[in-house]
Amino acid sequence: MANLPLTPASSTRLEWFDRWRYRLVRLIGPLALLGPAGLWLFLLLVLPTLLILQLSLVPGLRPGQAITAYGLGNYTRILDSVYLGVIGRSLTFASGTMLLCLLLGFPVAYWIALMAPKRWRSLLLVLFILPLWTSTLLRTYAWVTLLRRSGIINLILSALHLPTQDIMNTHWAVYVGMTYDFLPYMVLILYASLEKLDQRLLEAAADLGANPRQTFWKVTVPQTLPGIAAGCLLVFVTSLGDFVVPTLLGGTSSKTISLLIYDQFLGPARNWGFGSALSMVLILAVSLAIALLLRYGNREAAAA
Amino acid sequence: MKQLSRLLPSVTWQSLFAGAMYIFMYAPILVLGLYSFNESRYGAVWKGFSLKWYGKLFQDERLFLALADSLKIAFCAVGLSAVLGTLMAIGLAKYRFPGRSVYRGASYLPLIIPDIAIAVATLVFLAAAAIPLSIWTAIAAHMVFCLAYVAVVVSSRLSGMNPHLEEAALDLGATPTQALVKVLLPQLAPAILAGCLLAFVLSMDDLLISSFTAGGATPLPIEIFSRVRTGVKPDINALSVVLILASGLLAAIAEYLRYKSEQAKG
Amino acid sequence: MPRRFSSKPRLAATRRHFLQGSAAAIAGIALSNCGGVSDVQSSDAGAEPTEDGDAGSAASGASGPLYIYTWADYTDDQLVQRFRDKTGIDVQIDIYDSNETMLAKMQAGGGDNYSVIYPSDYMVTQMIDMGMLTEFDKSRLQGLDQLSPKWESPGYDPDNSHSVPYSWGTTGLIYNSKELSTAPADWTYLWDNKDALSRRMTMLDDVRETLGAVLHSLGYSYNSTDPAELEAAYQRLLELKPALASFKSFGWQDELLGGDLLLAMAFSVEAIPVTLEDDTFQYVIPASGSSVWTDTMVIPTTAPNADAAYEWINFNLNPDVSAETVKRLYFATPNAAAKDMLPEELLSNQDLFPSEELLAKCEGIAPVGDAIELYDRYWTQITSA
Repeated sequence: MANLPLTPASSTRLEWFDRWRYRLVRLIGPLALLGPAGLWLFLLLVLPTLLILQLSLVPGLRPGQAITAYGLGNYTRILDSVYLGVIGRSLTFASGTMLLCLLLGFPVAYWIALMAPKRWRSLLLVLFILPLWTSTLLRTYAWVTLLRRSGIINLILSALHLPTQDIMNTHWAVYVGMTYDFLPYMVLILYASLEKLDQRLLEAAADLGANPRQTFWKVTVPQTLPGIAAGCLLVFVTSLGDFVVPTLLGGTSSKTISLLIYDQFLGPARNWGFGSALSMVLILAVSLAIALLLRYGNREAAAA
Repeated sequence: MKQLSRLLPSVTWQSLFAGAMYIFMYAPILVLGLYSFNESRYGAVWKGFSLKWYGKLFQDERLFLALADSLKIAFCAVGLSAVLGTLMAIGLAKYRFPGRSVYRGASYLPLIIPDIAIAVATLVFLAAAAIPLSIWTAIAAHMVFCLAYVAVVVSSRLSGMNPHLEEAALDLGATPTQALVKVLLPQLAPAILAGCLLAFVLSMDDLLISSFTAGGATPLPIEIFSRVRTGVKPDINALSVVLILASGLLAAIAEYLRYKSEQAKG
Repeated sequence: MPRRFSSKPRLAATRRHFLQGSAAAIAGIALSNCGGVSDVQSSDAGAEPTEDGDAGSAASGASGPLYIYTWADYTDDQLVQRFRDKTGIDVQIDIYDSNETMLAKMQAGGGDNYSVIYPSDYMVTQMIDMGMLTEFDKSRLQGLDQLSPKWESPGYDPDNSHSVPYSWGTTGLIYNSKELSTAPADWTYLWDNKDALSRRMTMLDDVRETLGAVLHSLGYSYNSTDPAELEAAYQRLLELKPALASFKSFGWQDELLGGDLLLAMAFSVEAIPVTLEDDTFQYVIPASGSSVWTDTMVIPTTAPNADAAYEWINFNLNPDVSAETVKRLYFATPNAAAKDMLPEELLSNQDLFPSEELLAKCEGIAPVGDAIELYDRYWTQITSA
């Protein structure tokens, strides 16, 4: 009993030590999980992005020039109706592609994940994305062969006595090409989220008298909302960045924001300042959209 | 007979629709395949069957070197990203800490930033850090977007997954590492696989980031895009056909082996 | 190896700035790198020739392989093998798909390895202005005297002081001679026949080529910097736009051969193989002239292995090496001696080697300074509205 009372000083020291050890131990997990990727992203992503931000604040900066003055000139230039038009068109292409991919991709993912014979599922999934193994450029060339006025699709249509379609070099061709390019992404992500669907919930719903349609809308869709959100997000942003399809299939008025940015960096004007500003605007706008999407997606998921 | 009756009810509108989508996905590939056997070097007119492009292809050492570079970059970048990206997604789902939303936001950045902007900025950064370009700088740069894609797919599966399983494992005396490896990872496997496939495909098809961060290596897309200047010849179509057939076969064999081993177990 | 030493302080300075953790500092360094690095290294390049001569091959051996940055088809394994057999120098080839990609990579500091690059004419001018190219020591080049007169002192690089012309070609129109009753003779054909050609013709997806051609057709220069002339050309192109199927620099071949397009504006290197494939299709250089482009070989000031670079350039100046490449790629050679070694069918091909008279009417595309912003704006307007 004699050594029961500890001196206050040593007690605080021990506590202090324990607390720190406890904190350190608690830090190991997060650091191990988040550290390496975080470091990577910081060095090769965050720093370069800050660099883009800096460049965007130098009006008319060309590589090789010294930075003389900062200003918002690049940003105000974007407000020009020409550039706003380009941005608007890109957003239309991207959202159209996203919707088409969702409409076409969901049934495919559903079938592969839940209806196809189990032993074939992974193989079917791999087979669906296998066409992406070819270069974008070659795939798009192949679409030229398919879509052009006397192309394969029109040959088949006229053989069936159906009216031929002249959509080559129009925006419709862009939708076809982009949907083709990004459909597998959508299917992959929807598959990952449908595959974990709790089958018992579906059975329970059916037992409780829900018809398949009700089960689908009340059970399947809410459960896969995070996957739908992720798929839409991915298709949307990736198709915003596509510049091969609009160039090759889109006709004379198919400039998109990614092409515009590409032109600023690698076109004859080589205005890296303006290119960076366009990039920053794109980043901010899409981030905002993602934040909204995530919030919405999470709330729906939480409600389900 | 039993086999047949099990197959028959599976002819639903979904399976028909899926079939149509498979045709959609493979139509351009069939076109590529067809024209790789075309005597003419252009894909517009059929001038007769020929194997000469395959002959050309197999003599074209440069194309195969480019393919090897691409595969090397893709495998390394995706392999490393699979580990880091999965850990990152788990970490983000598991821990609340100040700056978490910033971290999460940053992990989405590669999806959003225009390729060309990040490619140029990364090159400027590498030059400022006096890191000479090599195949490894390309791998490092590819890892950034591969990480993001893996993390997005894994996160979407993590959110809405049952957290109690891992807790139960911990309660039953598993170490956190055991709980991770034995409980969490198997559940995440399909998402990790999906994320990896996605990242792999993107990495194999990337032109801009490789253009600016690779040195001493010429990934396939650069080779293909710069050959366009003098016209793409069907030997590259032939390469696509060979690639698709080979990887399709590989996937089928892998599946078959997996199925066999599962049968042996069960 | 003075380069080694000069790069060290750079590294240290970089690290120090890194610790400060400021992105602004990084950008500052990087961008000053773009402009400033050439000062440091041009002095090195100046020093190189002094250790030349007996140390020639030893120096190149020590510096490892010769790194070349070029267009995809310009070199092939055979060529590299021949060079290796002859000189014992290993060659490493990286390729680019546009002049601008190459320039951006060099400027951002990613091209320090390369000892030979292949910029086009206008890019040569630009790179000389930026101090990125080594001035040749002419005594080390053999075969410059074999160049055709037009390339003895080209406008983009007078006296070939920084560049050796390697290949050239023209821009023109390729058309379906069976479908078009009258053959296009000049640029005005497009406007005169725009109803018949409606949505069945393409122009290049390249502001300098396409807007330049319109400028030229109006009697102005391809390199005009006059806002009024540019405005006029813009209006004239706008008039034609509804009749165009697309702006395409590549990928028009299938549509043309399939009969969907009747006419395409194209580079000679791409058009000639099509005309050889099917003689329904003919290439024509508009009578009032078009643009003529030249690709060159240069040694950047940052070149680590100038000795081997000279060896490579001399090797490519060999008439038989040059002739081989012409046969493979269908571009014209500025090398008169090589021209003599070509088979008759190529030599007499007017598409490949147009008459001197016509060639005299063609213009080279040159940098236009700040007017490029105007070009860019008009182009964005045309391709987006």
